[in-house]
Amino acid sequence: MSLALPPGAQAAKDSLVLAVGGENAEGYDPLLGWGSYGNPLFQSTLLRRDADLNIVPDLAQSWNLAPDRVTWTITIRPNARFSDGSPLTAKDVAFTFSKALEAGGKIDVSPLESATAVNDTTVVLKLKRPDITFIQHLIGLGIVPEKHYGPEYGRNPIGSGPYKLVRWDEGQQMIVEANPYYYGPKPAIGRLVFLFADEDAALAAARAGQVDVLSLPSSLARQQLPGMRLHVVKSVDNRGLMFPTVPDEGKTTPNGVPVGNTVTADVAIRKAVNYAINRKALVDGVLNGFGRPAFGVADDLPWDNPAIRFQDNDQEKAKAILETAGWVDHDGDGIREKNGRKAQFTIVYNAKDSLRQGLALAVADMLKPIGIQAIPHGDNWDRIKTQLTHTNVVVYGFGDHSPLEMYKLYHTPGPEPMYWNAGFYSNPTVDSYLDQAKGSASFEESIPFWQKAQWDGTTGFSTQGDAAWAWMVNLDHTYFINECLDIGKSQMEPHGHGWPITANIHEWKWTCK
Amino acid sequence: MDFTISLLYFVVRKIIRLLLLIGAVAILSYTLMCFSPVDPIDAYLGPAIMRISPHQREVIAQRWGLHQPPLERLTRWVHNVAQGDLGISTIYNEPVRAVIGKRFATSSWLIAIAWTCSGVLGFSLGIVAGVHRDSLLDYSIRLYAYIVASAPTFWIGMLMLTFFSIYLGWAPICCAWPVGSTPEEATLLQRLHHLMLPAATLTLVGIAPIALHTREKTVEAMHSDYALFARALGEREWGIAIHHALRNLALPAITLQFASMGELFGGAILAEQVFAYPGLGKATVEAGYRGDIPLLLGIALYTTIFVFIGNTLADLIYLLIDPRMRQRRGWL
Repeated sequence: MSLALPPGAQAAKDSLVLAVGGENAEGYDPLLGWGSYGNPLFQSTLLRRDADLNIVPDLAQSWNLAPDRVTWTITIRPNARFSDGSPLTAKDVAFTFSKALEAGGKIDVSPLESATAVNDTTVVLKLKRPDITFIQHLIGLGIVPEKHYGPEYGRNPIGSGPYKLVRWDEGQQMIVEANPYYYGPKPAIGRLVFLFADEDAALAAARAGQVDVLSLPSSLARQQLPGMRLHVVKSVDNRGLMFPTVPDEGKTTPNGVPVGNTVTADVAIRKAVNYAINRKALVDGVLNGFGRPAFGVADDLPWDNPAIRFQDNDQEKAKAILETAGWVDHDGDGIREKNGRKAQFTIVYNAKDSLRQGLALAVADMLKPIGIQAIPHGDNWDRIKTQLTHTNVVVYGFGDHSPLEMYKLYHTPGPEPMYWNAGFYSNPTVDSYLDQAKGSASFEESIPFWQKAQWDGTTGFSTQGDAAWAWMVNLDHTYFINECLDIGKSQMEPHGHGWPITANIHEWKWTCK
Repeated sequence: MDFTISLLYFVVRKIIRLLLLIGAVAILSYTLMCFSPVDPIDAYLGPAIMRISPHQREVIAQRWGLHQPPLERLTRWVHNVAQGDLGISTIYNEPVRAVIGKRFATSSWLIAIAWTCSGVLGFSLGIVAGVHRDSLLDYSIRLYAYIVASAPTFWIGMLMLTFFSIYLGWAPICCAWPVGSTPEEATLLQRLHHLMLPAATLTLVGIAPIALHTREKTVEAMHSDYALFARALGEREWGIAIHHALRNLALPAITLQFASMGELFGGAILAEQVFAYPGLGKATVEAGYRGDIPLLLGIALYTTIFVFIGNTLADLIYLLIDPRMRQRRGWL
């Protein structure tokens, strides 16, 4: 009967049970996208972001982008081994990148032209055109062994990461143990059990003392769990209002979906909304205090421009902007008009998501006093993304550790619209900054351009400029953690709650005797 | 000899029917999937959607064969299925056959236990209620059956979970064996412990129709001429029930029991969802949410065959046990 005891109670120092979601039903194959959020655990990556999101070496010892801006030369450490003991060479790295091109998974390495191993420790990656955001793949793509890779790999991952998969009972749990061949410092926790239970079941298991690390939505974080403490992690997991920025002229997308909203196409409306929103109230009221106001898509990331911050909850300023632009309430119904059109739009949100609903309702209330009528409307996600997104204000959530996201959200869209930049925002100056950023010779060099695209003193996509979005809040990710566990400093997390907490798992320590 | 020919005839007719049924189910479910608003690629990508260019979507569509027109895909799918290839599940990235096989192995425990218990208990309760018609016992059994028959399985499951797992702490909260141990380490007792609550839920729900049905038949039998005759000969009520009515009651109950395999399957889907029990039911829900057409079609076919076999067994057993049925169908 001793086996019925939770392993956490048995051998507390060397074994943890985590309920952080994150089961990858299709298997742990980096070429299909495993690990690109958070950390691949079983595989190691060429580079890594540390707790402060600086880019630091991991498998790579040195890396260099040639002046042609398309040739990366990477030297990897010579002593790396896979969890089966076989050596990891540059050939495996080249194989990983070339294979990822055709794998058809959740990562997009299409800027890559070719990957070649020059010798055992040097690999050359050639891009089709300059694209500094490709560095995200050096950070996110786990290296797989060429000789073990095949359709079955995802269920038997072999890699050079800190842990190796011992067993995976699909839909239930995954057991991993420290990889004896790992080149880095040996993780202090030898065995991890990932429990893939639903939120309710995971919470119940934690109450019963069977879980050491639990991820929980912030709405449930104000409670006491025996033997556990609350661990709050800052994130760029943001929520914002996307505005259609082109007027309704009867145009449609190639698929026949109507485009444009004449009210939100007026920059005065977008700015007024931005200034009128009381972000602190949203954090306190809707997020239970677990979050912070959002002013841009990349708040507090290295490519964030601090100059885009402004004083919000400023109704007088919002009203003045509307007056100047000709939005005046003539008929006295409390809603402003301009050219016979009411200052009115619908805020669409995913009806399943109570957080987004709360934000939409609260913002609608905040806009009433300045004479803008926003009508909250919940709908299903698939209809929102395909039918409603180009004509309505939509509550979206983003937040990534790569500025590529900024590029996609704000760059003039191509002929076929995607969910990013659903509002058809377009500004040639911003486009030029974004293109310059992407074409930079190094990541450091690209940062000023990302910042200028937000606001360069005269134009930009942020509120001071075109106010293409009204960002509302950045969420905090909330975890409950065994009081005896020290998990070090957590990285600011991207969109997606749960798995990213494992980014520094090799530093976790048990502190109780 | 005649019997063998009749049996052969029976089997052949059933097989033809099964094939027609499978065809109809396949086309219907495929059409429904085509009208589903869920974009499988979006559902697959999740938050990664921001990192994917239109080009990469093409690559994914290519991998899944989504780039072809619907009719062509259906034809190709039918062609492959005819050769025993159900395709690759998009969410599990594994052959559909393997996914179903693994999950059904887990589900089958649950279904088998619930099926047996609900049959035995339902039948017994039905007889008890029927023999003691209009007694307090009968009222209680009927009240229970009506309530359970009209309550959704998942709701009963949640009540059970709240009471027995969370409040009393008697039963585990999730999974098919203890957290952190492997299925090899898990003893039979532990597995049964984890099965207890979902199986009990399914049993509680499954009892109702069989009990009600058996009760009606018992009442009928207890008022029949032969029961009256036996009573006249001095037989006691329970004696009549056991010696005379039971044989007549068994047949409809067996039919109902085998025909209920389909319902049990549906119930298992909900129960597995509530108890985080990783069986076929949970996979079905996932496949639906995430637009995994090959897997959903595969499961549809699989359940069709499963339910069909249940019904056919019911028919066959009826024929084997009851000579009157054989006569009517010209088997003798």
